[in-house]
Amino acid sequence: MNSETLYQFSTLTVILLLLAFYGGTYLMTLGIRKKNEDADAYMVSNHRIGFGMGAASMTATWIWAASFYAAATSGYTYGVSGPIHYGLWGALMILFIYPFGRRFRKLAPNAHTLGELIHARHGSSSQLILALSNVLGSVISLMVNFTAAGALVSVLSPLSFQAGVIIAGVGVLFYTLWSGFRASVLTDFAQLVALMAIAIVIIPAVFFAMGGPSELVAGLDNLTAEQANFFSSEAILQQGAPFFVAVLAYAIGNQTISQRLFAVNEDHIKPTFLTATVGYGAIVIGLGMIGLMALTLGVQPLDGNMNNLIPQMVSGYLPPVFIALFFILVIGSLSSTADSDLSALSAIMMADVYGKNIARGKADPKRMLLVGRLTMITATMVGIVFASFSLDILVMLVFVGALWGAIVFPVIASCFWNRVTNAAFTTSVLVAMVLFCAARFELVDLAGPGGLFFELLASIGGGVIIGLMVFGFLGRTAGFIAGTLALIAMLIFATGFLRDYTVLLASLTAYGTSTLVCVVMSLTSRQENFDFATIGDRVGDYDSHEAEPDAGEAIPASAGLAAQR
Amino acid sequence: MTTLFAFYVLIWPALTLGVLALICRAVWRDRRKAREEHRELV
Repeated sequence: MNSETLYQFSTLTVILLLLAFYGGTYLMTLGIRKKNEDADAYMVSNHRIGFGMGAASMTATWIWAASFYAAATSGYTYGVSGPIHYGLWGALMILFIYPFGRRFRKLAPNAHTLGELIHARHGSSSQLILALSNVLGSVISLMVNFTAAGALVSVLSPLSFQAGVIIAGVGVLFYTLWSGFRASVLTDFAQLVALMAIAIVIIPAVFFAMGGPSELVAGLDNLTAEQANFFSSEAILQQGAPFFVAVLAYAIGNQTISQRLFAVNEDHIKPTFLTATVGYGAIVIGLGMIGLMALTLGVQPLDGNMNNLIPQMVSGYLPPVFIALFFILVIGSLSSTADSDLSALSAIMMADVYGKNIARGKADPKRMLLVGRLTMITATMVGIVFASFSLDILVMLVFVGALWGAIVFPVIASCFWNRVTNAAFTTSVLVAMVLFCAARFELVDLAGPGGLFFELLASIGGGVIIGLMVFGFLGRTAGFIAGTLALIAMLIFATGFLRDYTVLLASLTAYGTSTLVCVVMSLTSRQENFDFATIGDRVGDYDSHEAEPDAGEAIPASAGLAAQR
Repeated sequence: MTTLFAFYVLIWPALTLGVLALICRAVWRDRRKAREEHRELV
């Protein structure tokens, strides 16, 4: 099957599909809309979102359009293990954050952003570094999702790329603007149900339409030895390892995750994140299998573009109704992520920028709402412009990835270790960024002692990643032992070798450097140890709330605002 | 080999179906509980 073109919908059909999707989503939000929205609810609902809605929202948010395309590309490129090396690590990003999430929630039960917690712990400079990394991440995500909408519309219909970008941008803004996070969570559920139902149908449909398991096994002859090997070292080093390194960074650096950590019922954090882990993994790995099927059949991606693989397979083997379902699948996934990014950005501007750094304890909830809505409008415009002009964001992406890696240890350590100081946090991130650039862009000669220097830092970074992961689940002693063993293994196996993989080397350097600087500066500081109990008092709601049936008396507005320091 | 590969491909939509059922059931319970407590679902 090597079709020269993809199935084409008429302009009217595509417009009707988009109208049905965005119109239906908008109608859903009318059911929860209030004339006077509450600023806190606009950011995190009522802090009591149930397990079902929380898990649905977490899963839908984490699945973006690129998840399908990249998983299929991974299956096509790396063969049998390819979809696993994309989907598994992406799923683990959700899993590994929840032990830390429970700690964040315990320290600041009424927070809206992770930045608020860091502000209460350290002050503005550390908080704004975190907020900046969150903002950059969400803007990039918005742009990528709008780009995916434009690409999908342009390949499956006569409509232009720009038309697809604008329709998606305006459609998402339209249903998210008024109710913010509440609208995002509610629509996430509907979008997830749709995309799961479609994935459940499409994967077996393509599989059996292409000839079923016997055809797949027969096609294994088309694979190289590495592609046919489930334990392919090439797949691990090229696809799995860089993703593994990013597991904690993506979760810490992403406000869409923190927002849900602070929104779901505290007792349900664990089942919510476990379910989202399995849900994300199953959908994404499953759709990645379509890439593997394409590989075994010897399909060549149309125009050499890997993103055409899934549309090509669906278009080539299934009737038009499945192509319409696939269209909704992608639009649903990108919209659920984009609305979460808009909610995340608005919460950062409302709480981190306006609440903590402009109003400074005198935040007006109505003005906060205005800030949030203006942020959504501005962010949508920025996303549309960036996507429409297909701007090259590679450099931005590289820096955001490094920033996320650099903040992982300082953020986590700040929530567990009372000796970490604001200066240690800020300095460690800045030094890590400088050394990351030196390694990533090979500003120093990596062939000589310079290479060894960075490999030593990267080895520390490797130890930190493993140590933190184990620490999250098994505690300090186990984390320390695992981290030390990983460090020793890295020193033995990575030195003289890792310098050939500069992306991996630079990422690990960011982790290692920030940890080293943060620990040394904290240990040498004479600052008084921090009292974690004060964080809960410093981070609170902005609105006055009516008493919940089981929550005691209503808190006067002045008391709520007074809590904001 | 054929059975193994069929399982390898089809286990993911099966898992997705399981998670979908779990989430739908949980949302139904969330909705019922929210109504009992006279509060909104989100």
